[in-house]
Amino acid sequence: MIRFPFLPLVENEMLKLWKRRRFRLVLLILVALIGIIVFAQVEGRRRFGSRKDWRIDTQEQVARMRNWVRQGRMPDTQRRWMQFEIARLQYHLDRNINPEDLSGPLFARGFANAASYLLLHLLAIVFAADIVSSEFAQGTVKLLLTRPVGRRRVLASKLAALLLAVGLTVLLGGVVAYLFGGLAYGYRGWGAPVLTGFRLSGETLDSSAVRAVPLWQDAVLVFGLAWFATAAVAAIGFMTSVLLRSTAASMGTMFAALILGTILPRLASTWEFQKYLFVTNLPLPDYYTGSPPPIAGMTVPFSVGVLTVWGALALAVSFIVFARRDVLA
Amino acid sequence: MAETVLSAEHLTKSFGDRVAVSDASFEVAAGEVFGFLGPNGAGKTTTIRMLVGLARPDRGRVRIRGFDVAKDFSRAMAHVGCIVEAPDLYPYLTGRENLLHFARMLPDGARERIPGLADLVALRERLDEKVSTYSLGMRQRLGIAQALLGAPDVLILDEPANGLDPAGIREIRRLVRQLASERGIAVFVSSHLLSEVEQTCDRVAIIHRGRTLATGPVAELLSRSGGGHRIVAKPVEKAAVVLAAIFPGEIQRDGEDALLLPASSGGIPDVVRALVEAGVEVQAVERRSSTLEDFFLEVTGGETV
Repeated sequence: MIRFPFLPLVENEMLKLWKRRRFRLVLLILVALIGIIVFAQVEGRRRFGSRKDWRIDTQEQVARMRNWVRQGRMPDTQRRWMQFEIARLQYHLDRNINPEDLSGPLFARGFANAASYLLLHLLAIVFAADIVSSEFAQGTVKLLLTRPVGRRRVLASKLAALLLAVGLTVLLGGVVAYLFGGLAYGYRGWGAPVLTGFRLSGETLDSSAVRAVPLWQDAVLVFGLAWFATAAVAAIGFMTSVLLRSTAASMGTMFAALILGTILPRLASTWEFQKYLFVTNLPLPDYYTGSPPPIAGMTVPFSVGVLTVWGALALAVSFIVFARRDVLA
Repeated sequence: MAETVLSAEHLTKSFGDRVAVSDASFEVAAGEVFGFLGPNGAGKTTTIRMLVGLARPDRGRVRIRGFDVAKDFSRAMAHVGCIVEAPDLYPYLTGRENLLHFARMLPDGARERIPGLADLVALRERLDEKVSTYSLGMRQRLGIAQALLGAPDVLILDEPANGLDPAGIREIRRLVRQLASERGIAVFVSSHLLSEVEQTCDRVAIIHRGRTLATGPVAELLSRSGGGHRIVAKPVEKAAVVLAAIFPGEIQRDGEDALLLPASSGGIPDVVRALVEAGVEVQAVERRSSTLEDFFLEVTGGETV
């Protein structure tokens, strides 16, 4: 085997994604959507107005809670919650931020949660659906696979470009959400303490593992999970692109699957098996931050595991089929 | 004889019950233009797909510079440039970006060849325009430039004349001849046009319904069919009687007033003298320009190309 450097192949694939305006389209969608969301929120809040005397109120609240904690007649969990709340309010007082208000950083994290229900995955499919099938449609696959580069290497370069594009999309979503959110709610607040580690056990909220972390740390995790789920969708979309060799068919299949994932937990929540479907596991950033999971008993590690298995199988099928199949396009 | 750089041995490929290519074997030597002639659907493109590793033969193997395409794909393909079916390049990239794209898939040195190749295929002026604005002829030429990026020993062109105007066809033909004679490249050209193969190729294989019917130098195949002479004489019936005595059973009537003599009809002066002595008025004797068409009709039993 002659081996040529791998990076130039990835460069080729990125060039093709860029030249077909895929990135620009995705960026445009993110800017437009986030812009609309921020605008709608700001307009909606204007009706309620903001209280001018929030500082005094908050200071009183902190003093009251400090008093209660000092007196100490309360269960342990409540005390811990109250200590956290004091820290949180004090953080905002110190920085002269209304704790009731959203901040740019909070909005960005909230965006990652909301976008994990559909948006990021749809965008991933914009990249994934035609990264292989377009070569068949254009006929360029005949040139691509008659160069002295093995088929697996060609496919690996496409996968690398796809994962890079997906990563950039999630990152870009975060940046755009922070910029727009900051414009409306202020850019400070990355250090604000937030609670993490909620777990739903049966009917009750298990808060034994709850701890306070700075918002930026939490946001990194939330975006990491959003990226992971999106990458899994991309891997499965990659497989449909390889198998179906048609962008339209690949997109249609993936859209149907994603939409199924948003409908199924609502209309058939008692069907337990769906927790093994990849689509049910996609909103994991949201139940990481405390929302109830689509099916009781699903945890973040469980979902990461399910998505890993699905993603790995999809890639295995892609590579086996792509390397063996006759190219008759 | 020059070194064999491309060899196909017993290539066979079926799609379901349909045998697309059956037991195709041929060799192409350095500096030779090899024609692969057959009607549309004869199995030409399927054969080419097997040559360049896009399709896996059911049986048989392809070797390029001695490297088995199935087992040693990268090393074999390092010596090949090809256009399969149509010169499909990325329409949203410029000519130069397309060439750079494929240069990145080749060993060092490919990039440096781009300006020279652009000159060779007369695309220098338009190289920075998007391929979507190119005419079919320009795409075909860009496709050839792409195929030559790796300085290959073997160039495989699938129907290079397709969709081109006569000037474009002449241009490609000149280029192919030039590449073979000046650079010693072995060129494999498929075509369904007899005239094309006849004018471009040194040797030819004829494929029909997946079977290679004949392989050999163009001149040799031509001499096997057609050829001979056409004699316009008056009265033609009398001439026929005279000639039938010299070439028993080989004389054919051609139109109102002419007769066809077989390819082996040497000694034309003797034939003319015999006719004149018999009182036949010889108006014209012409050498028949034989075509592969005659041969093709002969081997396929009358099916046209």
